[in-house]
Amino acid sequence: MKWPRVLWHLVKADFLTRVRRTSFFLTLGFAVLLGYETFAGHVVMQLDDYRGIYNSAWVGALMAVVTSSFLTLVGFYIVKGSILRDETTRVGQILAATPMTKSFYTVAKFLGNFAVLAAMVLVMCAAALAMQMIRAEDRTLHLWSLLSPLLLYALPAMAFVAALAVLFETLPILRSGMGNVIWFFVWIALLSGGVSAAIDHGAGVRTSDYFRDFTGISTMMSQMRGPLLQVDPHFHNDFSLNIGGNHPHHQFLWSGVRWNAVQVVARFAWFAYAFATALLASLFFHRFDPAREHFARKQTPERAPVLELNAAKQLVQSDPWSSRLTPLPPAAVQNRFFSVVVAELRLMLQGHPKWWYIVAAGLFIACLASPLPASREGIILAAWIWPMLIWSQMGSREARYATGSLIFSAPHALQRQLPAVWVAGVLVTLATGGGLAIRLLIARDLHGLAGFAVATLFIPSLALALGVLTGSGKFFEALYIAWWYTGAAHHLRGMDFTGTFAASSTPAPFLILTTVLLAACWTRRRTQLAYA
Amino acid sequence: MNPEQLLEPEPANLRTFHHTGSSEVPGLKLSIENVGKCYAGKVWALRRFSLDLKPGVLGLLGPNGAGKTTLMSILATITRATEGKVTWNGTDLASDPNALRTVLGYLPQDFGVYPNLNAQEFLEYLAAVKGLDATDARRRIDQLLNLVNLSDVRGRPLGGFSGGMKQRVGIAQALLNDPQLLIVDEPTAGLDPEERVRFRNLLSDLSGDRIVILSTHIVSDVEATATDIALISNGTLVAHAAPEELLRRVEGRIWEWVISSADLNAVKQAYRVSNTVRRSDGVHVRVLTEEPPPGARPVPPTLEDAYLDSLSVYRAGVVA
Repeated sequence: MKWPRVLWHLVKADFLTRVRRTSFFLTLGFAVLLGYETFAGHVVMQLDDYRGIYNSAWVGALMAVVTSSFLTLVGFYIVKGSILRDETTRVGQILAATPMTKSFYTVAKFLGNFAVLAAMVLVMCAAALAMQMIRAEDRTLHLWSLLSPLLLYALPAMAFVAALAVLFETLPILRSGMGNVIWFFVWIALLSGGVSAAIDHGAGVRTSDYFRDFTGISTMMSQMRGPLLQVDPHFHNDFSLNIGGNHPHHQFLWSGVRWNAVQVVARFAWFAYAFATALLASLFFHRFDPAREHFARKQTPERAPVLELNAAKQLVQSDPWSSRLTPLPPAAVQNRFFSVVVAELRLMLQGHPKWWYIVAAGLFIACLASPLPASREGIILAAWIWPMLIWSQMGSREARYATGSLIFSAPHALQRQLPAVWVAGVLVTLATGGGLAIRLLIARDLHGLAGFAVATLFIPSLALALGVLTGSGKFFEALYIAWWYTGAAHHLRGMDFTGTFAASSTPAPFLILTTVLLAACWTRRRTQLAYA
Repeated sequence: MNPEQLLEPEPANLRTFHHTGSSEVPGLKLSIENVGKCYAGKVWALRRFSLDLKPGVLGLLGPNGAGKTTLMSILATITRATEGKVTWNGTDLASDPNALRTVLGYLPQDFGVYPNLNAQEFLEYLAAVKGLDATDARRRIDQLLNLVNLSDVRGRPLGGFSGGMKQRVGIAQALLNDPQLLIVDEPTAGLDPEERVRFRNLLSDLSGDRIVILSTHIVSDVEATATDIALISNGTLVAHAAPEELLRRVEGRIWEWVISSADLNAVKQAYRVSNTVRRSDGVHVRVLTEEPPPGARPVPPTLEDAYLDSLSVYRAGVVA
């Protein structure tokens, strides 16, 4: 077998499968949006109170940091699922019956993931070029200075993420939505590794730091420090990537990364880490063995097929339809909205381990029993990250499990089932954070209560809308966790959807956004159904 | 002879009708008028398709890609026809799809289940979505689980079910609301011979007071149950008649004789062969032809002969 050809076709098929889906354009759309936000000055890289003049070097570095910081988080959620797709489409079983080795397969999957993420980097390259030209602080184009940070910082980081996505898919505990939550914390750890090295060691970054610098921030900071100290000898070595925050007041000129052999090797090392991770994944890969899948069939009780014709005939003759079907009274089929809400609620809450409910109950009690400031600033955050995997199923469950044809052929599917899912989602949100609502009620904090109420409507609306629009829960998981971390956990005004912390609470815009999301969701579902 | 051929339809006197269902609903009528469906890329899956259906089992037969599933999807209100209209008891589906949905049972060719739910819970969920009263639904689900032989495993997560067991859950959900129109697309796929026979009998039993549309490419399934047959090819209706009528069309034109293996290719060149079976005395060849081949004896036609004849006549007409 010609392995390079096989590898090429595996990666090509994987890539084409993704690029021909709407979700790929959403992916690129996110990259474009991030590029625009950076261009518009909403994302700013600063050192103390300084930023670089927007020349090729600074724009390239900024785009590289934005890509390796934010796109790596979202990119993981986007590419994770390629093995699952082979499993659900049964293509995996066909592949498993070929001489292909497990390591070959996981490496091919890694390369497929990487191809998708590389396309996002390409978009960021184009955005970088546009940004420098339109910002026009320095229009002299140095292509290497502009693109080398994206190619040598962002691309290796993306490669590592592509491989991690494969590893997560092969490890049973990380395959599920829980893996998506864990990824967030892994991502934080990866980011902080490089940043802490840069802050701790300043200009004296050690060789080993380069090899553990996921984003490349450490290398860049070590080289920005010199020019900045010439402008401001009191530079404190502070680095931050701000989203919508205060802008720095001063500028300095930075001419770009002066690459040396160690730095280049260190960046290529991330490709090696990625390759090793993909190989590691092959150790855990189940090769589509049904016995090792999550819902492995238990033995019995399906009876062996009756092969003997006479036996079958005898059975039919001796046991004709002895079971009786009682007719349904004419009133049995009615428009029972509440029953559908209960059914959807049961569906949402079914199948979780006991400890999930125990933690949820604990968070409710903690919200209720803790001092109000602790509840509204801290515990509510935990209470509203806990059901993330329940919300992320909203609106996409029918696509994920291929039950659409059963559900959408039921009467009033749009008017009854969709609102029922939303109401069930609101109830889950209310139940998990309800302890805080009671506290706010007791404290007669009407503003906080209004913020809470809007949040209980907003979160499930976001989940439902993204689920219906994309047919997958991954987008909600990616967006929500990023939003939760940047907006809610940091109490960023205008971004804090929890709405209970007075300083950052802005319920009105979230109420408007909720309405827009619900309208979008309704409109999209209407087009998905042949007859609304 | 394959097992399907061996499992002959049960004699009518053995079909004990135990369904104590609703009394016959007078005037049930599903009309399909000049329906066409065009997919992206100007691919017509269905063209000028017209049919009037009354209570009974309609067997929808056709080769792969004939447009059967497209037609089923239109009738099940899953997809909208590009042209023409479908009416249920005079109500246009385009104006009021819920008039049909409330009395519709639909078993799609491909469907999924929620792996974390067990059979009981999944059926309860769908009963709620279909708007069934909780008490009625519970009783109905009990009966249906008995009917499809899943009572013993009703508490086991569906994720662990085999293909055949999932198919039986699908059959149960299609009957949840005591449908007046039951649409089943390749319902016996994945069922073992015993379950297949049971399901055929169920369809026959149910057909007394409702319209059942059975789409399949397994002729023996239709042979066993259908009161009417519609043959479809290339998205158009090739024939619509009672099975007896279709059989009459090929009566006296089916011949069988025994040849050696060496002669098989020559026979295939000379005749329209509907079946060959290798036995110890040689190859038993069954052909459709007006004039008897030398040494052949006439045999009673089967629906499979009629099906092949109708399709070849249609294809010859298209080519001409």
